[in-house]
Amino acid sequence: MEPIITCRAIAKSYYRGALEIPVLQGLDLEIPRGGYYALMGPSGSGKTTLLNLIAGIDRPTGGTLEVCGYQLNDLDDDQLAGWRALHMGFIFQNYNLVPVLSAFENVELPLLLTTLGRRERRERVMAALGLVNLLDRTGNYPRQLSGGQEQRVAIARAIVTEPEILVADEPTGALDAKNAEEVMALLEHLNQGLGKTILLVTHDPKAAHHARVQIHLEKGVLEKTVEINRPDRP
Amino acid sequence: MAWALFLPLVPALGWLAWAALRHAVPLSYNWRSLWQRKTATLSTAAAIAVVVAIFVVVRSLSQGISHAFVSSGRADQAVVLRANSRVELNSSLERDQARVLKVHPLLARDEAGVLASAECYVIMMLDRTDGGGGTNVAVRGLEPAGIRMRGQVRLVQGRWFNPTLWEMVVPRRMAGRFQGLQLGQSITFAGHRWPIVGVFDAGGSAFDSELWTGVEQLMQARKRDAYSTMLVRLADPGRLASFIQQVDADKRLKLEAKAETDYYSEQTEAGRPIQVLGNLITAILTLGAIFAAMNTMYSAVAGRTAEIGTLRALGFRQVEILASFQWEALMLCTMGGVAGALLAQAFNGIQTSTVNFQTFSDVSFAFTITPGLMAQGVAFSVLMGLAGGFFPAWRASRIPVTEAMNS
Amino acid sequence: MKYLHLIWRSLLRSRRRTLLTVLSLGVSVFLVATLQSILGTLDSYAHNPDSANRMVVRHKTSITNLLPFRYGDWLRQQPEVEAVMGLQWFGGIYQDQRNFFANFAVEPEYLVPIFKEEVRGVSESEVRDFIRDRTGCVVGQALADKFGWKLGTVVPLQGTIFPITPRLTIRAIFRSKRASDEMALYFQYKHLEESVPRMQGKVGTFWVRVRSADDVPRLIERIDHHFRDALEPTLSETENAFQLEFLKMLGDYATMIHTITAAVLAAILIVTASTMAMTIRERATEIAVFRAMGFTGRQVLGLLMAEGVLLSAMGGLAGIALAVVTAGAVRANVGTSIPWLSDFQLQGGTLLFCLQATLAVGVLSTFIPAYQAVRRPIVEGLRSL
Repeated sequence: MEPIITCRAIAKSYYRGALEIPVLQGLDLEIPRGGYYALMGPSGSGKTTLLNLIAGIDRPTGGTLEVCGYQLNDLDDDQLAGWRALHMGFIFQNYNLVPVLSAFENVELPLLLTTLGRRERRERVMAALGLVNLLDRTGNYPRQLSGGQEQRVAIARAIVTEPEILVADEPTGALDAKNAEEVMALLEHLNQGLGKTILLVTHDPKAAHHARVQIHLEKGVLEKTVEINRPDRP
Repeated sequence: MAWALFLPLVPALGWLAWAALRHAVPLSYNWRSLWQRKTATLSTAAAIAVVVAIFVVVRSLSQGISHAFVSSGRADQAVVLRANSRVELNSSLERDQARVLKVHPLLARDEAGVLASAECYVIMMLDRTDGGGGTNVAVRGLEPAGIRMRGQVRLVQGRWFNPTLWEMVVPRRMAGRFQGLQLGQSITFAGHRWPIVGVFDAGGSAFDSELWTGVEQLMQARKRDAYSTMLVRLADPGRLASFIQQVDADKRLKLEAKAETDYYSEQTEAGRPIQVLGNLITAILTLGAIFAAMNTMYSAVAGRTAEIGTLRALGFRQVEILASFQWEALMLCTMGGVAGALLAQAFNGIQTSTVNFQTFSDVSFAFTITPGLMAQGVAFSVLMGLAGGFFPAWRASRIPVTEAMNS
Repeated sequence: MKYLHLIWRSLLRSRRRTLLTVLSLGVSVFLVATLQSILGTLDSYAHNPDSANRMVVRHKTSITNLLPFRYGDWLRQQPEVEAVMGLQWFGGIYQDQRNFFANFAVEPEYLVPIFKEEVRGVSESEVRDFIRDRTGCVVGQALADKFGWKLGTVVPLQGTIFPITPRLTIRAIFRSKRASDEMALYFQYKHLEESVPRMQGKVGTFWVRVRSADDVPRLIERIDHHFRDALEPTLSETENAFQLEFLKMLGDYATMIHTITAAVLAAILIVTASTMAMTIRERATEIAVFRAMGFTGRQVLGLLMAEGVLLSAMGGLAGIALAVVTAGAVRANVGTSIPWLSDFQLQGGTLLFCLQATLAVGVLSTFIPAYQAVRRPIVEGLRSL
């Protein structure tokens, strides 16, 4: 089966004036559909950069990226935005919910980009919130929710458009152990039960342990790939 | 009266100065914080500059108008008019009445004779040089004593009119604004040619809006047999009140006398609507500026909660934080105030005119932006800084130490 | 408009900031609306459509010079002329100078024919009473209400220009379209002539009603030509032109008001731009998140612009509302000192201009910071955590 993500010779450099600072130097990577990958490495290794490139919110300075059947280099900014709306769901360390919108309205946001009518949007939102177990909190505002609840709303927002891929940058970074565990369980369910491809950047070894494959990056280069075999998983 | 506005400033500033001296938060911290948020600081300061500039210009207008009427009088001179005529234009004084007045014992004399001038005040129409059409202007016929009695009027070009010839002298302010009024030119009036033989400057008083000529010539030209008024000077200024009483009491004369200063200050009513309008405009704009300043300061405080918490953790007391942010608001607004006062300078010297609603004649004056007015403008901006900065500063002082730990 | 709740809620993000901005804007717009309306009210005097059929004849040299009364006879002979009335500004005071109102000495039989549009609601018998009573007068309803006068009240006036104190009995009270027209008193010219010797056979102006407005220019020429070489030459002009001359005497108020308006609008623009820049900068992360979710740069720009425009619109409407509410107070206060302004009314055109100006401010002030925010790379916004 075709991998859902194919990176060939990916390079990314930042420029400070005339000075070139390379972050990724010629990386190759293939991720199959339904994969659950954790990107790890010390700070400055380029893991977040790689995530950003795959997610379509940044462009490589060299190499090609094929994600969900599209050559990302061939898409202009507007096309990329539309592509993200269909295929990508984002989960951030600091949740990044809109503080003046209720949980329901936050989850509804990505659906406003579609042509779905009000009733259909409502159905999808409720389904997503049901999935993350927050049906009793639809009217609450982020400041009325705990950190764990906020992240679950964010996850509901990420899946409401039914994207194929979820990218998460330190999703448990701001959570306590119990909430972190809940969030990771949710992600696992999304991967196992709904077949979502998940790409995770994390420092947290416990979170990384939930993934199936760990990619270790060092100074912008792939160091090693580790398959995680857990007895409680097929 | 405007000083009443500035009174609350004094204790507030006093407290602030004391707070600044008593090892409070260093002012350089506030100054540098302002510059860290360049756009916010500059735009608020710009808005305040606009308001202060308008304030200064409007006050200059107001002052100019008052000045044009009030400074026209001396405390030892009196204007004699027909009873109840209110303005010279409507007054008339017969020749024999004038004769009786001129020998009044209380009048002053100088080497040239008694200081009394029978005068005639009429309106004529002149065309403006800016193409605005005809405007009524005042013409005063006077005796040579009248020139001597008006010390604030100085000849700047040419010479005074010869009282037996058809000649005129004009105020410098009007020379450029009306056709035919330059030195050497002439105007046609009542069928005669009147050459302009001199230019004078009356120091911004009402006389800067009048053309002067000899009273007998004017009366001849206008086919009048009676004067309008008489201006007299009293030998002893303390006897002014009794002179007025005597004139009023004299049943033969049917005249009334007014202290020259009183006569002109009564005229100020004509300029009142403009002053009221000006004050209203300024008051409204100030409110808007204070809101804007408050907004900026609230933003500044909101963006620095961690800093403030840290300052508290370091040991600075709440009242010191309050003073500190109040200073910051002051610095912001004073910057705007100084810029505004300087901006107002652009108006300095601009000539404009309005109309005297009693005589419907032209009253010209110039915007004079004095250092005093500029200082008032800056003081005004200080007031805005205190008013606009207080609530945000209060808020800042209430921020708990724990904020220092939050991101 | 499925994004409306988002835009609206964004404004509530910082209620204090939104409130202060709206207040600041509102106050400024109120000022501009009121000032421009003052200009508009004054302007309307020189553009009174009812005046199209009327013209004024006065002395060529100065408005304060007199014309011979017999000129009226010649004027009445002109074919285009419907009616002619001699009118002399009396300028009398009632009790106190502050109670200023216009009062004139006129030929009573022509008052209504000339001022058909302004002197209304008087019965024929009342007009007859006025004509019959040498010391009678006609006043406007608003003036009568102000001082509590009724038919038959005796009004004593103190002459300022003329040394007499006529005691006039009110014989009719009229109503007009404009309040300022009702603040007038008309009494008999003959009464003035009898009491003041130098007014014998002389009058200040003639008001002429012409059958058709088209005839006015031709008539003006003929009148002034006819009296050109007389001892008292005339200057004729349309009533609007006559009013304009008086207004021009007010000086450069138009320039001053326009200058202040421009300055205030500039200040509003600067302040609003700064506020929007602040707001947008603080939302850098959120903007990045929206774009990550799939909103294009243009869509985000649109949302931000909508927010800015909504904010300014609120400020503009607040200002207009304030102007509407205070219009009456403005009229009462300023109307007493500047007589023309007793008709002060907010002009529809002015309010529209204010609304357009605030919308323009909203667009301009939001565009640059929003455009810059949207141009920044997404990752930059996300990084600022």
